[in-house]
Amino acid sequence: MLKMQNIRKSYRTDTIETHALRDFSLEVNEGEFVSVTGPSGSGKTTFLNIAGLLETPTGGQYLLDNEDIGNLNDRDRSRLRNEKIGFIFQGFNLIPDLNLFDNVDVPLRYRGFNGKERKKRIEKALEQVGLAARAKHLPAQLSGGQQQRVAIARALAGEPRFLLADEPTGNLDSLMARQVMELLEFINEWGTTIIMVTHDPDLARRAHRNIQIVDGQVADLQQGAAERAQTATA
Amino acid sequence: MLELRPILSALWRHKISALLIAVQLGLTLAIVGNATVVIQERMDTIARPTGVAVEDIVTANFMPIPKDYDRMEAFRLDLDMMRQLPGVVAATVSRAPLAGGGSSAGFHTKPNQEIGATNSATFRVDEHFIDALGMRLVAGRNFTANEIREIGRESTWQPDTTVITQQLADKLFAGGEALGKSIYYGGGDHPMEIVGIVERNLGPWPNSPIAGNSIFLPMIMDTQWFDYIIRAEPGQRDAVAKLLQEKLAERDPRRVVDVKTLEEQLNRSYAGDNTMITVLSGVVGLLTFIVALGIVGLTVFWITQRQKQIGVRRALGATRTAISRYFLLENLLIAASGIAIGVAAAQIFNHFLASEFDQPALPLSTTLTCALILLGVSLAAALVPALRAANISPATATRSV
Amino acid sequence: MFGYYISLALRSLRGTPILSALMVAAIAVGVGASMTTLTLNYMMSRNALADKDDVLYALQLDSWDPHEARNNPSEMPWQITYKDATSLLRSDIPTHQVAMHRWGGPVNRDDSEMRPYTAEARVTSRDFFTLFDVPFTYGGTWSSEADNNPVYQIVLSQETNEKLFNGENSVGRTVNFNGTPFRVVGVIEHWQPSPKVHDLNNGDFLESAEVFIPFGLHRSLEIYPWGNTNGWLTEDIDSYEGYLGSEYVWVQYWVQLDSKEQLERYRDYLTGFIREQKQQGRFPRPLKFGLSKPSEWLVLNEVVDDDARMLNWLSLSFLLVCLVNAVALLLAKFLRKAPEAGVRRALGASRKAVFSQHLVESGCIGLAGGLAGILLTMAGLTLIRHLAMGYMDRVASMDWLMMLSAIGLAILSSLLAGLYPAWRISRTNPSIYLKTQ
Repeated sequence: MLKMQNIRKSYRTDTIETHALRDFSLEVNEGEFVSVTGPSGSGKTTFLNIAGLLETPTGGQYLLDNEDIGNLNDRDRSRLRNEKIGFIFQGFNLIPDLNLFDNVDVPLRYRGFNGKERKKRIEKALEQVGLAARAKHLPAQLSGGQQQRVAIARALAGEPRFLLADEPTGNLDSLMARQVMELLEFINEWGTTIIMVTHDPDLARRAHRNIQIVDGQVADLQQGAAERAQTATA
Repeated sequence: MLELRPILSALWRHKISALLIAVQLGLTLAIVGNATVVIQERMDTIARPTGVAVEDIVTANFMPIPKDYDRMEAFRLDLDMMRQLPGVVAATVSRAPLAGGGSSAGFHTKPNQEIGATNSATFRVDEHFIDALGMRLVAGRNFTANEIREIGRESTWQPDTTVITQQLADKLFAGGEALGKSIYYGGGDHPMEIVGIVERNLGPWPNSPIAGNSIFLPMIMDTQWFDYIIRAEPGQRDAVAKLLQEKLAERDPRRVVDVKTLEEQLNRSYAGDNTMITVLSGVVGLLTFIVALGIVGLTVFWITQRQKQIGVRRALGATRTAISRYFLLENLLIAASGIAIGVAAAQIFNHFLASEFDQPALPLSTTLTCALILLGVSLAAALVPALRAANISPATATRSV
Repeated sequence: MFGYYISLALRSLRGTPILSALMVAAIAVGVGASMTTLTLNYMMSRNALADKDDVLYALQLDSWDPHEARNNPSEMPWQITYKDATSLLRSDIPTHQVAMHRWGGPVNRDDSEMRPYTAEARVTSRDFFTLFDVPFTYGGTWSSEADNNPVYQIVLSQETNEKLFNGENSVGRTVNFNGTPFRVVGVIEHWQPSPKVHDLNNGDFLESAEVFIPFGLHRSLEIYPWGNTNGWLTEDIDSYEGYLGSEYVWVQYWVQLDSKEQLERYRDYLTGFIREQKQQGRFPRPLKFGLSKPSEWLVLNEVVDDDARMLNWLSLSFLLVCLVNAVALLLAKFLRKAPEAGVRRALGASRKAVFSQHLVESGCIGLAGGLAGILLTMAGLTLIRHLAMGYMDRVASMDWLMMLSAIGLAILSSLLAGLYPAWRISRTNPSIYLKTQ
């Protein structure tokens, strides 16, 4: 599903060049639930941005569904992001001016579905996260956990095969965090591949496999977890 | 001035926005400076003294309805009648000055000359003209009643005496005494002695290059191109105008009478200049306003963007004054660089207008005055948001998003 | 997608009403100012004779002072002498030719109680109506003998016929003009070219003549023209006949020459005519004449004056400032929404989609600005009509073309203004807005 080989990413400012990722290789299989941990500044977010096609690597090869991302232009990458990838952020990143319905509508608009199809999908996605009744509310009228559930609905509406979550529970209290986590596990069971960046060792342990990034490189590949994932998808 | 460095580096991060404001100020200065110099020139034109009692004068003329009409007889009867009317100081038959209609000719100081004439407006008048126009005789004498000659439309008669304006006297006899000297029509040898000099008369065309060169000749001509010029007592003008309309029609109904105030006709002559003044002033005002709005908008935006930063500064002990000063200083830096662009742009723009449209040169003092005013406007526009920024609570720092 | 962008744009504009109003106002004022002056320039530079631009020529003869050229851009007098006009009228080369000048006087009817009033007149040879394509409602022009002999026939303008005869067919009726009875032979349709290309000596934008009378009446009526009379020679003139034979120029002259060959023949004719006159001691200057097409004539006469052209430049610079202003404000507004754009990028919007969305928003501002700009333009034109005290009444008004142009200009301006901000926002790296600060 996702295959990174010798990925390199460096940021250049006027004075210094920082290497966020160096010689970074990783393979994630269809249906896996992978957690990514690591200290601040280790390159977790950079990895996620590259995986989510928000940034392009400075070097190396990235295959998504056997397609080499390096050869794609912005339009194709945007299309891939739209069709295959869903995002969940720590800060939810709902658009404050739009109500829940319109927020979930955003990726569907870019997909080019017609009005009927979009309506069906939005209602279904909101149903799944239990917020169908609040479709006309603005994000500010919801609690943090509810907002994150809307963000998940938005990510799900396009039926992506691949979900990227960046500290999805970072801004939530433990009860809400648990609800969100359960939702993610549920989604994973239905076949969506998930990569989740987190600080929380408890959450990390709930994934099939945990990857640790230290200093821009994969530090510890837990073979055992990978095998468990193999059997889970089989 | 410790703040200068952080301001500069913050500006560098917003260089496009800062540049846009600066460019706006620069262009505005270029336009405002050039508009100002045109406005000034037109206002000076309008403010020139006319030499005549514009506010008190009423003019009138008539068109006879019958084909054969004794116009000279009508002049005599009308003038006699008008001079008796209450509120009338003096009346004459000539042509209204400043109204855009009249005649001009070239004059020489020697007989039989064909080139190098001095052009001047000519007025045919009777002995009441100085009084009726409210002019001031500065040398010599007025015409006497028996000098005035009545002539037909096509007559070759030329008078022996003339009265001219001081300006024309200075032009014809540069540095010398004009009174008592003679002048001649182009190619002619009949001397016309200058017996009097009036202070000033802008002539029929106040916007013409020969405005102010005027010659008065003691004659009444039988022509449809005439105006009665009636000077009313101060404050009586409109009443006199109304009375004239009535009395002229009443004395002889076989004609179409037209009565106007001289002021209205002068305003008409200056309509183009007045239009330019008003439109350009409008442009200057609106432009300044728009630029001020732009500055307000951008300052507000920057402050909102840096709200948290300001909170942190306040929490770390920055005074309100320091915060306001920061934003004002920032604005000053932008405005100053914009105005530097503008001073140059104003000169370039002026060069274009001067070569293309014959507009006056833009003196540096005007540019700098406008620059100072714009700088003031810019600071004033930044002041309100800057003061508001100072009111941002230090607690903003601790609030999470 | 366009509809989606429009609805997003409206939502966004409603979200920041003050900033949006500011931008709309800036565009509106800029468009208002430039459309006001553009309209003036457009109306001033119209050519009512455009249809016949290839065949009509305004004629000038350089009969001026040997010591100095006439002081105007063409360096020839605008008008010609009466005696030259009557000589030229005898040529049979032009398809049509018109000698004419402005005049006026009181008009009334014997059989009416109506008060006499002063009417503007055009004393002209009979081809006037065919040459300038003036259509008749009733009757037609006078006979050709009227160009040389006193024939008391008159053509009324539609407005005059309305005033004197309530718009009835007045052909055959009698009108008194300047104390002389005239028989009405024709009534023309409404005909008010602006600028008055056929007569640029007497207020380019004022009304055309109210009555028309034949060119053969000068001696019998002792007509002295209204409008300009210019001379350079001191002549002893002691009679009306002397005036007609003088070097004074006061007759406007137009010819219609349908082919190149005709034009060449007429040029030769004029050259011969001037040579002949030179032998009689006239035309002391180097041989020169002018044949200007209507479009050239308008330019030569500087109908669009310096003030109007200068205002045009000033207001276009004004629009430029408003544009820069709009760029700055749009940039601020868009950057404030950068996080939203980041989210949209993450959710699959391409750079192009983000760019288009923001450009549409700019366009909406332009549309609103254009509509407000039309109102401002109308206000501006009203102000100018008022300030010009009647001189600009026919010029300072908007037609549909100018209204559409106003909207077009506004949208174009705001799209231009939006180009950079929209590009900028579409290029920003989405990932920096997605992280929690």
